[in-house]
Amino acid sequence: MTSELSHFAARLRTLIADRDWSPVAAPQRGSDGSNLLGVFPVQFPATGDDPHSDAPFNSLALELFALHFEHNAACRKFSEARGVTPRLVSHWSQIPAVPAAAFKELDLTCLPPARRARVFHSSGTTKHRPGRHFHNEESLGVYEASLWSWFKPHVLSDLRSTAADWEPALLVPPPEQAPHSSLVHMFETVRREVGAPPTAFLGSMANDGSWSVNLEAAHRLLQDACHEARPLVLLGAAFSFVHLLDYLAGHGARLQLPAGSRVMETGGYKGRSRSLPKAELHRLITERLGIPSSRIVCEYGMSELSSQAYDRLVGPAGDSPPHPEPPVCNADFRVGACAGWKTGVTDRRCLAGATSSESPDPDNRRFHFPPWARVQVISPETGGEVAEGETGLIRVFDLANVFSVMAIQTEDLGIRRGDGFELIGRAELSEPRGCSLMAV
Amino acid sequence: MNLPNYFLADLPPEATLSPALLGEACLTLKRNREQYLAARSTDQLVRILCEVAREWLRAESPFRRLALTEGPAMTGFPRTTLERGLNHFFQQFTRENFHALLAQDLGDPRCLDGLCPSANEAGCSRSAMAVGPEFLVHVTAGNLPNPTLMSMTLGLLTRSAQFVKCASGASFLPRLFAHSIYDADRKLGACLELAEWRGGQAALEEVLFAEADCITGTGSDETLAAIRARLPLNTRFLGYGHRVSFGFVAGEVLRDGSSRKVVEAAAEDVVAWNQLGCLSPHVIYVQSGGVVSPEQFAESLAEELEKREAAEPRGELSVASGATIAARRGIYEVRAAHSPETRLWQSKGSTAWTVVFEADPRFQASCLHRFVYVKPAKDLTEVLHNADAVRGKISTVGLAAAEDKAAELARQLARWGVTRVCPLGRMQNPPLTWRHDGRPSLGDLVTWMDWEKS
Repeated sequence: MTSELSHFAARLRTLIADRDWSPVAAPQRGSDGSNLLGVFPVQFPATGDDPHSDAPFNSLALELFALHFEHNAACRKFSEARGVTPRLVSHWSQIPAVPAAAFKELDLTCLPPARRARVFHSSGTTKHRPGRHFHNEESLGVYEASLWSWFKPHVLSDLRSTAADWEPALLVPPPEQAPHSSLVHMFETVRREVGAPPTAFLGSMANDGSWSVNLEAAHRLLQDACHEARPLVLLGAAFSFVHLLDYLAGHGARLQLPAGSRVMETGGYKGRSRSLPKAELHRLITERLGIPSSRIVCEYGMSELSSQAYDRLVGPAGDSPPHPEPPVCNADFRVGACAGWKTGVTDRRCLAGATSSESPDPDNRRFHFPPWARVQVISPETGGEVAEGETGLIRVFDLANVFSVMAIQTEDLGIRRGDGFELIGRAELSEPRGCSLMAV
Repeated sequence: MNLPNYFLADLPPEATLSPALLGEACLTLKRNREQYLAARSTDQLVRILCEVAREWLRAESPFRRLALTEGPAMTGFPRTTLERGLNHFFQQFTRENFHALLAQDLGDPRCLDGLCPSANEAGCSRSAMAVGPEFLVHVTAGNLPNPTLMSMTLGLLTRSAQFVKCASGASFLPRLFAHSIYDADRKLGACLELAEWRGGQAALEEVLFAEADCITGTGSDETLAAIRARLPLNTRFLGYGHRVSFGFVAGEVLRDGSSRKVVEAAAEDVVAWNQLGCLSPHVIYVQSGGVVSPEQFAESLAEELEKREAAEPRGELSVASGATIAARRGIYEVRAAHSPETRLWQSKGSTAWTVVFEADPRFQASCLHRFVYVKPAKDLTEVLHNADAVRGKISTVGLAAAEDKAAELARQLARWGVTRVCPLGRMQNPPLTWRHDGRPSLGDLVTWMDWEKS
């Protein structure tokens, strides 16, 4: 039944993996000396014709929608209720976007139950039913190709992509403890790709599902890296960094990690640690780890997607000394979505204050998905795309979601910036059942 | 009209308030009260309040015009919503209604003026006098203006110096009301003060809390608990926490041609103050078995809300609130595509109104701004069973039922813990005598002096 999908997956995987997605033009320099996004190839798949042509992506998108319509019953019912069938769609933007929350209620998958080898959950809490994104070997293959092909040029572009003279430090539990986390799977994929040992995982998961960082081991690793002048690539969720930074502060430790070290952080706090505005988190990382803000990359991803967006790239020119005043990034997006966590908790002030005029530097902290995905910022009022600089709900069209559903309507708010977006936060209380009385 | 700079809330936003400034304001208020307010009679005060209300109801009134022209930008409520809400409120201000309130809460309408004889008890002849707090502080929430205006009104009746601490962004209408009192009687205006700041500014609030005899607070349970924890032991605190409300439509009223009227009444309650008050319905329960099914009722309600939108548009929303509605609609759209137990009606091209029919009878808090649930119920007992999660948190039940059955339903609701039952369509329009959350609002403000003469 899914041979066409398998074929599509294999084709897509090749199209993604057979090409280096590094910037084709020199990265632009931010006012703080950091590397902003370079000029990446946008055409997908690359045909050699007009590099800005949307047509090749569109044709793949329409093909995939037709397959989903045929093989994903939940997706078909949703589209039919909207009165949309593949015959009526000529552009990818017309494909009905399924709310990410629907992953909590429906089996949004083309995989029959027997073939659902893996499942990624959207939430670590037990209070709400988590969203479930089913995978098999083929879909994991696409996920891995997608994540690695976009991670590498953003986080590792100036490093050799095998860890020999540098080391990854993964502030999450190892995969055997957190098999349902898409973020952990992502980090495991990175670990395998760079040839690092499983000991790179510095976290663990408690019985209640909460995550912690093995702080002593992490501290030792940081110290060793300093002594041995070995750059570290630290990957983790924002709250894990808070745990680590608090620990270091408690021990009066202030490290200067070797040049070339960097951080990729993602996601919100969800009460797993105290919440910090993004700029404050980055300031503390600079203060405690000696990593300048220009070498801190934010990632935006979620278990319902197979591709991620990044807000800058760490390049060779980024080895500037720590900036005394790290640039303030977008007000306070303490609820950045992240792979594996759907937080549902939002500070209303951060949303209310989210106007484009408050963004200090429109070029800064702008997220971009890879060329095999498209993003739109949607007006909650009209359902249409907002104008440049306006705020709306982020909608992602991800070709790498081959066996689930391609068009996903998130509950995250962002500001439209060119073909990317600035992240603001999450719409409140979108899950009706069990919502608090405080809604009134 | 240009309002004079008289209250702290009139100061430009860049002006900063200091504890010293507030301390001075408190002393001035108390002094003015002693001089201008303490000795006034209830009749006099009621007369002035009725005069102020008449002014507000007059089309040419500068206060009303300012409220209606600048109100939409300042409060987020469209003009028609403000108009309707303010009319309902000020129409209640009549001498008869004030007397009814005084009689209801205090027994004798004159007992704020002086000693009034109490009912004779065996072997004791007794008189009593009600005394209001010398200095009354209101910490108000931001959603609707009416509760704040009512608190200020009650404080005038009790001859209290009053300080109204408005939530940030919520001082516009209370300020206009205060100016209209000042305009009617400057000396009364001198016993009022208003200021606006974001809650939790301890240094400012300490000053008020130390000076106040009595404090009223509206807001979330957390806000109220935080205030209460900071008050001196002898300061009285009247906290009005958040409440939710629902409607119940009995099957018999949907049997004849009157169902249209019931639908209109339900729409009125959803449209009033854009559903943002504690008295606005989150859910309309409709008894099954009537000629009109709950699902048909929902469809009619959607049509009615569309009509009301044309005449009284909801107005613009923040992107965040709009996104919350859009995200919720998304979930119900998915459910509706997969099951006939959920249906969704919504305004096209906007988030102006939404009706969700759900066969699941559990009470569901709405995200408001004219977003309402319609749910079926076998009877009121089933409704209450399904609203158990919000038991003790219900303010109002809007009831549409046959006259001969309504009293029994009201008794059932009272036993369950509901503090107000009113006809559907009047949920956001309580009378002056309304006992807020089941308590006598005026009666709770006063203390009594009992004089046992013999």
